[in-house]
Amino acid sequence: MHEWALAEAVVATVERIRAEHGGRPVLAVRVRIGELQSIDREAFGAGLAMSLEGRPYGPEVFQLLTEPATFRCRACARQWRLEDLLELGEEEREAIHFLPESAHAYMRCPGCGSPDFELTAGRGVAIDSVDLESGDD
Amino acid sequence: MIDPRPAVLRRRLDPARRILAFASAKGGVGKSVCAALTALALAASGRRTGLLDLDFQGASAHLLLGVPLRFPEEAGGIRPLRVRENLDFMSFAAFSRERAVPLRGAEAGEALLELLAVTIWEPLELLLLDLPPGLGDTLLDLLRLLERTEFLVVATPSALALSVVERLLALLRELRLPILGLIENMARPAELSKASRASPVAELAARYQAPLLGSIPYLPDLERKLVDGDPLRGELGASIRGILGRLLG
Repeated sequence: MHEWALAEAVVATVERIRAEHGGRPVLAVRVRIGELQSIDREAFGAGLAMSLEGRPYGPEVFQLLTEPATFRCRACARQWRLEDLLELGEEEREAIHFLPESAHAYMRCPGCGSPDFELTAGRGVAIDSVDLESGDD
Repeated sequence: MIDPRPAVLRRRLDPARRILAFASAKGGVGKSVCAALTALALAASGRRTGLLDLDFQGASAHLLLGVPLRFPEEAGGIRPLRVRENLDFMSFAAFSRERAVPLRGAEAGEALLELLAVTIWEPLELLLLDLPPGLGDTLLDLLRLLERTEFLVVATPSALALSVVERLLALLRELRLPILGLIENMARPAELSKASRASPVAELAARYQAPLLGSIPYLPDLERKLVDGDPLRGELGASIRGILGRLLG
């Protein structure tokens, strides 16, 4: 369950932001989950709950948003989505789940075959926003 | 958008009492060989050791250690592969296998950050980092992310290597980063006989007021010794133990 390590990082970041703002209550955290990494939401949620033990807020403040994975070829400018790559096997998907940059070992541009492509969206776990209760200042 | 991964780097690396990077700037001087030999010797001496191969495009430490590549186990993160008693290992190659990994610098930076953020190391006396050649993204990211890294600089007696390695030494000195010493690799008998005095690598070390930790002889069958045999026996083993003795005091 390496989702736990990423959930722990999200909570650590929220805690840092909260501490920088005098420990104000956390109202909402929007977490963007990139499709490429195939995060198991149940495992991620369990990781959040574990890391939040003893905190004054719980997993219910976290909104998990899925971001589709999109790619662009630097050689021919073709753009594509993860779902367009039907030939990607179970092993390859597993490798990309562990380390999304493994995509560069297993994917090629479906137009020209170039390995020189960029991931334009939907890589992994990122925090979109953290809403804290307004302070008196 | 906020990247959450940097928030856990310190706690992920906390289990390692010291972090030592094998660096060179010049390719082909034997950073991976020196890192793998040092890791094996440390583990054999009973010290809990980790080896993290950060040369994503040219990962080879697994070949030197004879590690069959497999996905790591997941438990609260990903667990390094236990490759020997006292020796844990992690590499991009656990995921990319033997395929080419054409990465641009920013992508290598993402991979570095991800590996550091999700790898759960057991308590280690030393975590060794096998760096890629060059003064590029991985070195710069490392300087930014792991501020307690200490450097071991690998050089060969080649004039080309010495010139490039000198630039790395100058950069490390300019940035006031700790240089534990130089390791001379592929030393020929003439250099070995004068290693402590006047070999070109010893002269370079002296110019930068860094110790020459030792010399590894040029052995045509060194890779075979590493992969098939016991590299800690004979002349090679004596060289490595000498380096460890000077490194660890």
